[in-house]
Amino acid sequence: MLGWATVWSWFAPFLPAVVIVVLTVVVAWLVHVIVGRLMRPTTPQMAISARRLGVAVVALIGGTLALQALGVNATVLFLVIGLIGVTIIVALREPLSNYGAKYFSDIYTPFKVGDSILVQGVSGKVIEINAMTTVLLSENDQLISVPNVAMIRDVVVNTSPQAWKEVTVPVSIGSTVDLPTFESQLLKSLSKLRARLDPRFPPVLTTKNRTAQSTELVLTLMLRRPEDRDAITLEANRRLAEILEQKRTALRKPATPAQA
Amino acid sequence: MAPLSLCINTQTPLVQFLGPPDGTLLDPASRDPTKLETLREGVDYRFSPGGVTRMVYPLVRRLLQEKVISEAHWVALNPHAPPVVRLGEMTLHNVAIEGDRMAGYGAVKEAIWGRIHEIDAGGRHDDLFWSEAFSEYAYYNRRTAELIGALDSEHDFDVFYIHDFQQMPVGHMLGSLKPKIFRWHIPFDASVFPEEWRSMLARYLDAYDVIVVSAASYADSLAALHPKARVLRLYPYLDPADFARPPAKQVAATAARLGLAPADRVALVVARMDPMKGQHLAIDAVARLARSYPLLKLVLVGNGSFSGSSTGLGLSKSAAWRHRLEALVSERRLEGRVLFTGHLPQEDLDCLYERCQFTILPSVREGFGLVAVESWLHGKPAIVTARAGVSELIRDGVNGLLFDPDDPADLARKIRALLDDRSGRLRARLVRNGRSASRRCSLDAAAKAEGELLADVTEA
Repeated sequence: MLGWATVWSWFAPFLPAVVIVVLTVVVAWLVHVIVGRLMRPTTPQMAISARRLGVAVVALIGGTLALQALGVNATVLFLVIGLIGVTIIVALREPLSNYGAKYFSDIYTPFKVGDSILVQGVSGKVIEINAMTTVLLSENDQLISVPNVAMIRDVVVNTSPQAWKEVTVPVSIGSTVDLPTFESQLLKSLSKLRARLDPRFPPVLTTKNRTAQSTELVLTLMLRRPEDRDAITLEANRRLAEILEQKRTALRKPATPAQA
Repeated sequence: MAPLSLCINTQTPLVQFLGPPDGTLLDPASRDPTKLETLREGVDYRFSPGGVTRMVYPLVRRLLQEKVISEAHWVALNPHAPPVVRLGEMTLHNVAIEGDRMAGYGAVKEAIWGRIHEIDAGGRHDDLFWSEAFSEYAYYNRRTAELIGALDSEHDFDVFYIHDFQQMPVGHMLGSLKPKIFRWHIPFDASVFPEEWRSMLARYLDAYDVIVVSAASYADSLAALHPKARVLRLYPYLDPADFARPPAKQVAATAARLGLAPADRVALVVARMDPMKGQHLAIDAVARLARSYPLLKLVLVGNGSFSGSSTGLGLSKSAAWRHRLEALVSERRLEGRVLFTGHLPQEDLDCLYERCQFTILPSVREGFGLVAVESWLHGKPAIVTARAGVSELIRDGVNGLLFDPDDPADLARKIRALLDDRSGRLRARLVRNGRSASRRCSLDAAAKAEGELLADVTEA
């Protein structure tokens, strides 16, 4: 039989690291909540990314401190992580800038697949927006690949008829959220904005992609007046965030997927 | 072509569960399929009596027999049912939604129905797609699309076949690249849609590879509203093999039980109790003829739909309509001349078809009107409203009699023509040519056309 003293003598050297890990989890959770609240005025996509970044930074610091408590030299560890990071950034500068540009253009650039745009002197119908490039189909059936970074650096003209009317808001919901309930709540909430939206085009939620972890959707709103664009985008995002935050419990999926 | 895996979606389920009082059939947590063969028809369940399911079921069986499809999964709204039911080679998946959401869903579908059938015009529902009720309609359709999506992950369907306007958003909500066919069963006349509805309808219809309608005029109207859509006209259908003459004794007994004397001259209307079905027009016509033809009797067969029944969705409007019709009968002093039978089992209905002199399809508006085809298959002349899809098959006086539902005297004139046909020549001509026209609405013709459609969309 092992005595308590023996168990304690084995466990004691690890105690500081365990305490740091526990504290890290608590701090990460706090950061997750606080950043989520601070980012509420922005888009849900931005809020999710900011939360993830905050949690990752806390986890990195906590993990490093825990390793230091176990006797690993943190200075060397930080140096190695830093060098790897710099190498990746330098090596992948172009792809990363395009990827980053796609992230921001998804949220802020007013065009989508199917629209006709003019950018860097070329024009065509957008047929694909991938991680690196936006692919246009020209009038003479040519494929034109435009780096995404151009979409946030250069002037982009959306030449689709009445393009100003359409506001698309990307929405990402976790797999635990019940999509029918979420959509129903969202439509109810957005109907309050009716006076500012085109009565012929009620809000529509379209599924773009689905994985085991999440569902990517796009909310489409059609404006009555062009000058409302910014305000409606912000208001729609605020309502989205509110539904996702405050009604998280209510949006849980029912026990049996086939039944309500 | 290898047999296809097919997913069908209708609002009305193929099987309605009557359910024992202890509710053992209705375990919502059960994932094990309930085998229909282990239950008792008429006690535990019954097949939905008419409408879309009556058409789709024989077709699916035929496509399975002919190996056009290898499996069929049928998703429908069925709140009082086990989640999964096995019926031969078919699997039925039942969707349930909560009662409060059902009310909103029902309000939207009734509003669309009313507008399309022009019994609810006047701008009352122009803002329908902004209403709170619409969020429940979207909820039901999204719930259905989610279930179909989950089944697709499991079975990897080749094609989705979505039926009727209630399910219209499902194609858009599925977000699948696989072929999607939509069958629009009711009338389609874009001119009745308010401006506020058109973009929404076009958006939903845009999700489908092919939209099937029941009449050429509907196809033209749909193409005008949504020029990008690929629209196909396919007539609804029946299986002539299901129509056999019942024995004379049985006919006489059934007629007597229902209150018909041997000398009565019987006009038969088979339709659910719904203002759109226009039973009031038939009552009005009989009232106009009652004095001249003392033996004329009108028999109204039918009850509420699945939506209206207590074992269905509980959205009853049929009771109110029947009360109005009964009041009309009383007002026109037609007691004893108009019989309300309610829903009848098929064998009784067959007897009534055999017993009647002719049938009337008096609808104010009708997607197609298979009752006229049933009438032909029973060898009876049909008087048909000019506002039914089937009217495009009818040549007035050749294979049927058409009447204008806006002209109160017109139906009475057509009834009179048959009652005065002492030589029987008119009747014989209508029956002979009607039977011939019915071939265009046969299961054989439909199975061929639907098989070609499935092949077309999956190979395109």
